[in-house]
Amino acid sequence: MNDKGILTMGVDVGGSYVKTVLMRYDQATGDHRLFDRQVEKIRKRNPKDVVVDAVAMVLERNALDYERDIAYLASTGEGELVERKTGHFYSMTTHARGGLFLCPGARTVVDMGALYVRAISIDERGRVLDYKMTGQCASGSGQFIENISRYLGLSIDEVGPISLKSDKPELPSGICAVLAETDVINSVSRGVSTPNIIKGIHLSIANRSIRLLSSLKAQEPVALMGGIAMNIGMVDAMEELSREGRKPLRMVTHPDAIYSGAIGAALWGGYRHHRIKDRAAVVAA
Amino acid sequence: MTPLEEIISTCRQLAFDLNFSRAKAWKAQDPQRVLVGFTPIYFPREVVHAAKGLAVGILGAGDRKPIIKGDAYYQSYICHMPRGIVELALDGNLDGFDGFVFPSICDVMRNLSGMFQLMGKGRFAKYMDFPQNFRAEIGGAFYKAEMEDVLRRIEAINGVQVTADALDRSIALYDRNRAMLAAIYDIRQDHPWRLAYEDLYCIMRAGLVMPVEEHNAMLEQVLEAIGRERGVPEDRIKVVVAGAFCEQPPLGLIKTIEAAGCYVVDDDFLLGSRWIEGAVGGGNGDPLAAIADAYLTRSVQSSVVYDVGNPKEKRLLDLARRRGADGLVFAAPSFCDPALLDQPLYFHQCEKEGVRYVQFQYNENTGQFKVIKEQVGAFADSIKLWEGEAATA
Repeated sequence: MNDKGILTMGVDVGGSYVKTVLMRYDQATGDHRLFDRQVEKIRKRNPKDVVVDAVAMVLERNALDYERDIAYLASTGEGELVERKTGHFYSMTTHARGGLFLCPGARTVVDMGALYVRAISIDERGRVLDYKMTGQCASGSGQFIENISRYLGLSIDEVGPISLKSDKPELPSGICAVLAETDVINSVSRGVSTPNIIKGIHLSIANRSIRLLSSLKAQEPVALMGGIAMNIGMVDAMEELSREGRKPLRMVTHPDAIYSGAIGAALWGGYRHHRIKDRAAVVAA
Repeated sequence: MTPLEEIISTCRQLAFDLNFSRAKAWKAQDPQRVLVGFTPIYFPREVVHAAKGLAVGILGAGDRKPIIKGDAYYQSYICHMPRGIVELALDGNLDGFDGFVFPSICDVMRNLSGMFQLMGKGRFAKYMDFPQNFRAEIGGAFYKAEMEDVLRRIEAINGVQVTADALDRSIALYDRNRAMLAAIYDIRQDHPWRLAYEDLYCIMRAGLVMPVEEHNAMLEQVLEAIGRERGVPEDRIKVVVAGAFCEQPPLGLIKTIEAAGCYVVDDDFLLGSRWIEGAVGGGNGDPLAAIADAYLTRSVQSSVVYDVGNPKEKRLLDLARRRGADGLVFAAPSFCDPALLDQPLYFHQCEKEGVRYVQFQYNENTGQFKVIKEQVGAFADSIKLWEGEAATA
């Protein structure tokens, strides 16, 4: 694995999950590869311990030694929880780069995380040009979908496919998570079907995201990244609302979308590794 | 715990003790001892020390005390720190202090000194003017008179007549203190990972509420510990923080700046502790003249020093270059006139010289750091990844 390029790791500590990736970064050819990935739900554990375990797991699985084999371990998200790291990158920077890696050609990345949604306009190198994000209201977030799925007795993996079965979506309040949760309880008592409730939730979040894209004057293709982008129902809702809008945007996503932050961190880590090395060489000369 | 960890833990407690327990315990040991509280930025503590006193830094209530009464004393467009100080005074936290000095910095502090006089706190509350004329025979003479006035007020309390020898001894102690702080900054310039800035801040701040002899002993141990390799270097940018010389941000905000991908290699958070560049000296038979000369000729650059022949914006950028900083972080308290009015000067100079900067405002009781973390994080990334390119949104 070390023949071409260097090995880097990215650790994205989010609100609900710790995502860890192992990558090969090849500065010379630009042929970067994702070798391994690990996602861990934090639950009620100490996030620092979750990070340590996740990194150890990836290293062990690939028979690697941190000191010997990893050129750069980059954190993103709540980076202070990653104690053994080479550097930290801001989550917008990493999602932009990770989105471009997973969906080459993307000009906009929508990072749909546990606590907020952020639309990021990028250039062809993954540089952030502009961004818009939701406020601190939880009703536009992945955590909200998790809460609703728990009330309805569904696992998070079931939510997307069930949403696709909807025939008459029931839209909740788009203003506040607390009100929306009350709406959901009312819907259940009124006998609204689970697919229609779930689809309504997806459309509510998608509506916020589409508004972000519109105020950003987003260019296509739009890469949907982050944990919620793994949800087929959410992607479907985004596409549906985009088609209905004045300027439909082509949406793309990737099965590894949840790792976009960690991937971006690992890639920027590789870039920085070479940059620091080059600078040291100049100083030495 | 290692000795350094113990020092950090002790200092963390002392630095934010709103009851000033250490200073009060020190005073209780000898009836002649006096406590003189002073507000930012700079006050020549050696003068009080020579008079058997302890000059204690009063930096507001921070995020550790709800402000209720203090708000009644100030309009909404006034900064937060004086409200906290009024609250401390009215709640009895400053009982046991013998006097208060309010160094000249802005109108708000001038008003605060008046409020202390009206409240009858301490035996004296002095608004201390600092010279803006940098000629020894004018500004120096004026400043000497101000210090003599402080000594007279203390003598009226404890009867101690200060001698030149006592002043020289005090100057030597504070010179040693400043020299060790400077040495710590010099080490951190090249090895900032050896001591987190957050920890250094606590160590420096604790020095404002304890006897200088004890603080010097601590600093010696700190220097000894960080003289050797410790900690793990990280790939971060180096920054100089400017604008936070009076109202102090909560510790969480200071930690946030480093957590967002920066090493703070110089700053003006507790500028008064490092105000004199080099030693005051003394030993010439006129120690007050030595202190005055140090102020006139060796003061750091600051928003409250109007030295037109030595432009502050140029000095700030020189400092950033000397420290090898990648950029500047302008962190100013909301409604802080001295800091905010200077910012256009600094920004203009940064742009002229192609130095990157980011700016935000805070209050001493700011509780949310997320936005600041994002701003500083994006700033750090822009330097690490896009150096040499124009900034984007």
